[in-house]
Amino acid sequence: MLLLLAAAASHAAAQDQAREWLGDMSRALQKLNYDGTFVYLHDGKLETMRIIHQAGSTGEKERLVSLTGSAREVLRDDESVTCIMPDSKSVMVGQSRARQLLPMVPQDLDSLLRYYRFEMLGADRMAGFQTRTVAITPRDEYRYGYRIWIDQDSKLLLKSDLTAADGTPIEQVMFTRLDIGSTITDAALQPSLSGKGYTWYHQSDEETAALPGSGETRWSVGRLPDGFSMTHYQRKRMQPDGQDTEHMVFSDGLATVSVYVESLASDNAGFTGLSGMGAMNAFGIIIDGHQITVVGEVPAVTVEMMARSVASGELPAHD
Amino acid sequence: MKDKLFEQLSTLVDDELTGPEQALLTRRIGRDADLQQRLSRYQLVSDALQNHLPPAVDPGFYRRVQAALHDEPAIRPGGLAGSRLGVLVKPVAGLAIAASVAVVAVLSIQSARQDEPSLPAVATLPADKDYVRVQTASTPGAQPRMGKKLDIYMVNHNEYAVSRGMQGMLPYVRIIGNDVSRDGKE
Repeated sequence: MLLLLAAAASHAAAQDQAREWLGDMSRALQKLNYDGTFVYLHDGKLETMRIIHQAGSTGEKERLVSLTGSAREVLRDDESVTCIMPDSKSVMVGQSRARQLLPMVPQDLDSLLRYYRFEMLGADRMAGFQTRTVAITPRDEYRYGYRIWIDQDSKLLLKSDLTAADGTPIEQVMFTRLDIGSTITDAALQPSLSGKGYTWYHQSDEETAALPGSGETRWSVGRLPDGFSMTHYQRKRMQPDGQDTEHMVFSDGLATVSVYVESLASDNAGFTGLSGMGAMNAFGIIIDGHQITVVGEVPAVTVEMMARSVASGELPAHD
Repeated sequence: MKDKLFEQLSTLVDDELTGPEQALLTRRIGRDADLQQRLSRYQLVSDALQNHLPPAVDPGFYRRVQAALHDEPAIRPGGLAGSRLGVLVKPVAGLAIAASVAVVAVLSIQSARQDEPSLPAVATLPADKDYVRVQTASTPGAQPRMGKKLDIYMVNHNEYAVSRGMQGMLPYVRIIGNDVSRDGKE
């Protein structure tokens, strides 16, 4: 009996320790200056990228740039996120959202434990740094797991494996060089491409209406994996000249899934089926003349299940 | 001189380069596009041989690993004496097995680990055939290019993933890594 109690206490302590390391990592990624080169392995492809992050009293600024292949870049600050894609000669500008730190709130953590197992896997060495490894293992097939190598001193992430429920790697990110704490100049955060001559897409993210009123049609998702709940709902125009899109965001505290619903023009065939990009999966389906698109860093089975369960219904009138 | 440099690069991939040598080489990689490409090739081969690759493999992957093995003098048998990467390549050549067969063997192991009966068994494919990305049985042939609309959704969704997630900007790595121009050339 005593042994069982001791084992349970030890297990709980390990869970707490893992969550503490993840919380420290989440803060370090926001609060520190760093400049690093890393490799990204997905779908049998390998890309080399550089990330530059500046943290200061005026907020965060980041630049992510591909060092191999097409010189895609993402620039992000507290107000906007800009993606420059030379291969398609396009630039996309969206609004950035405030970040939440992990651990978020205690009830979130307790909830996470029902769907993931947190473990400390011990010490390792990565890119010249001493690291501790944290494993987050999903308890079902509807979400991915993580193995994260964290620098013992700075608490920055040095390697991240995203895995299927059976442990098979889906995506890997590994730093081969990382400078921490040095001054990041504004020049280092400037894009190498001006975007001149490219097609610019401004995501207005303009909210056209909040929650639908009584008597209005509202789309909903009938089947969600356990632990997922809606964290955000918005009707908005994704582009200034576009039409209204309903956007629902669901999360279990770690994984996030978006559901987009928009009316399909009669001359548009729309798209159906699965599309995958590394760990991100998207599933399209047409229901009642509407294009439903479910996008998220979850397994294909999850986006498909959610997409197929989307339905519209009239909201009951309030008294 | 270059051989020494390539050997260091291999040692870096093996995670066995330390101290000033490691710092010097990583700085040099940051400046040298050729070295970055070479690092990618070494890492790819290393990951393939150590069975660290994901099960979803695009047709170009096989050709890239084969090219990396054949065109890279430094990772031919004996080219990287003492390095793990060299050791891993050596038994393959020692048995006079073509690199393509070695890749098939590696991928076969990965495929065999899949539980889903609907996944294609890579082991049954001849070595000179390309591989296709695995698909779920419920969506046969479904790999539509969603084009610009998906890019817009991805960028928009990423902001929600980043704001709640724990990995900083890393979700954007997928946008950077989803290079359509190269997909088309494979």
